[in-house]
Amino acid sequence: MERQIMNNKKRLFSVEPTELSPSEVFTRKYTSHLVPALKKLNMDKSPSPINQLTVKHEVDKALALSAQEFAWSGFLLQKLSSSNNPTTTTSSSSNGTRILEGSCKEDEDGEIEEKLSELRKLLPGGEEMNVEEMLSEIGNYIKCLELQTIALKSIVQDTT
Amino acid sequence: MGGENNEGEMGFKHVDDESGISRVGVTSTDHFFSSVDWDPVVSGGGFSSSHYTSMVMDNPGMSCFPHYQTGSGYPDMPPSLLPFGDCVGGGPVLGSDKKGESVGRLIRAGESHQVSDDVVLGAPPSRKRRQLEAESSQRNKKAVEEFLEEPQRGSDQSQKKHKNDQSKEKESSQSEEAPEKNYIHMRARRGQATNSHSLAERVRREKISERMRLLQELVPGCNKITGKAVMLDEIINYVQSLQQQVEFLSMKLATVNPELNIDIDRILAKDLMQSRDVSSTPTLGLNPFSGFQGTIPNTTLESELQSLYQMGFVSNPSTMSSFSPNNGRLKPEL
Repeated sequence: MERQIMNNKKRLFSVEPTELSPSEVFTRKYTSHLVPALKKLNMDKSPSPINQLTVKHEVDKALALSAQEFAWSGFLLQKLSSSNNPTTTTSSSSNGTRILEGSCKEDEDGEIEEKLSELRKLLPGGEEMNVEEMLSEIGNYIKCLELQTIALKSIVQDTT
Repeated sequence: MGGENNEGEMGFKHVDDESGISRVGVTSTDHFFSSVDWDPVVSGGGFSSSHYTSMVMDNPGMSCFPHYQTGSGYPDMPPSLLPFGDCVGGGPVLGSDKKGESVGRLIRAGESHQVSDDVVLGAPPSRKRRQLEAESSQRNKKAVEEFLEEPQRGSDQSQKKHKNDQSKEKESSQSEEAPEKNYIHMRARRGQATNSHSLAERVRREKISERMRLLQELVPGCNKITGKAVMLDEIINYVQSLQQQVEFLSMKLATVNPELNIDIDRILAKDLMQSRDVSSTPTLGLNPFSGFQGTIPNTTLESELQSLYQMGFVSNPSTMSSFSPNNGRLKPEL
């Protein structure tokens, strides 16, 4: 029934039930990585409270594993493997530095450069990329972050 | 060929402005050259003052040359033999140089009558040129630009480089906007420098601007923002807020983890409803981003909803409303 209705509306477009959009692919991958990892965490450490950082670590790892077609995921994996502490979020510290640096720069190009370098810090591996590449990667990083947020929300809501 | 008639006439009106004349002449010659062989001209044409315009038509601009050379008005047009002679003399040269000369030389036609060479370069955009030439010299510059641009479309790299050099030389009196083509087919705009470094720089900058535009579509609420700095600010804020959200959610997840009992399909179903709001905007703007289409279709209704989503939500402003609980909120399209 629904399919019929929708077919009417989209008869101009080919509909293939087996076709997966990248977003969907990502979300599936992400949840398939994260959920088992969380379950494992849950089971392994049920006697002791689960470490927040560990969860974050798993979250980031799932993100990186689900988006391996992008450059930043490799960098993110590197970061994760090199340290136990997740380093992807740099919110407070970067905010402070940004404000300071922004006020010191009067040259517009300098400002833009500052912001670009700020952006680089946010993106895993952004420091090693040139500007064009970085901007592209930021785009798909944002997309993946959004999808990750949604997935995490669903997981959280599902378990509460 | 009526168009060429006008061209010829208008060109001749610009007698006082030699560069303009030359350009005009070139254009008409260009137009003719590309379409007409030298032979008819040489073999004899209706060279006569009365048939001036027709001559222009029939004889690839060669009739123009004498004027430029002598600097006399076209009413004083010498007998047919003279242009013949000149043209013939220049004929072989012109013929051989058909493709070799840059458009820049076209511009310098006032100095020499070798203008015709460049004309041959490509399909003559005669009509455009005609309109442009009717204007003042400034417009002529533009005509030059267009003329420069259009033949280049079919020309090879060597020609482009040649034009590059020529146009550089020409820069003094004319506009500098002789379009330069590099391998990525960038077109220089009016008033922009044309050396190779600045060209590469311009290509790079345009790529970056392109990416910025795409990012603008991706980040909610940035449609009205103009300016790189502000845009970058917004992007930074957005990325930071997303990261903070992820952190917060993972923290929450850590606290509720013990109760993990998750059904992936259910999650995806929820994702579908939520993601619609989140990613409504960038459905079609993400091609460079490996074709993300901004939807997280449900398991059973995935493809249909996805395509619906794409078509229906392309123009929706992204509102990030997914950050507020939106479960079960279906779009009216369903």
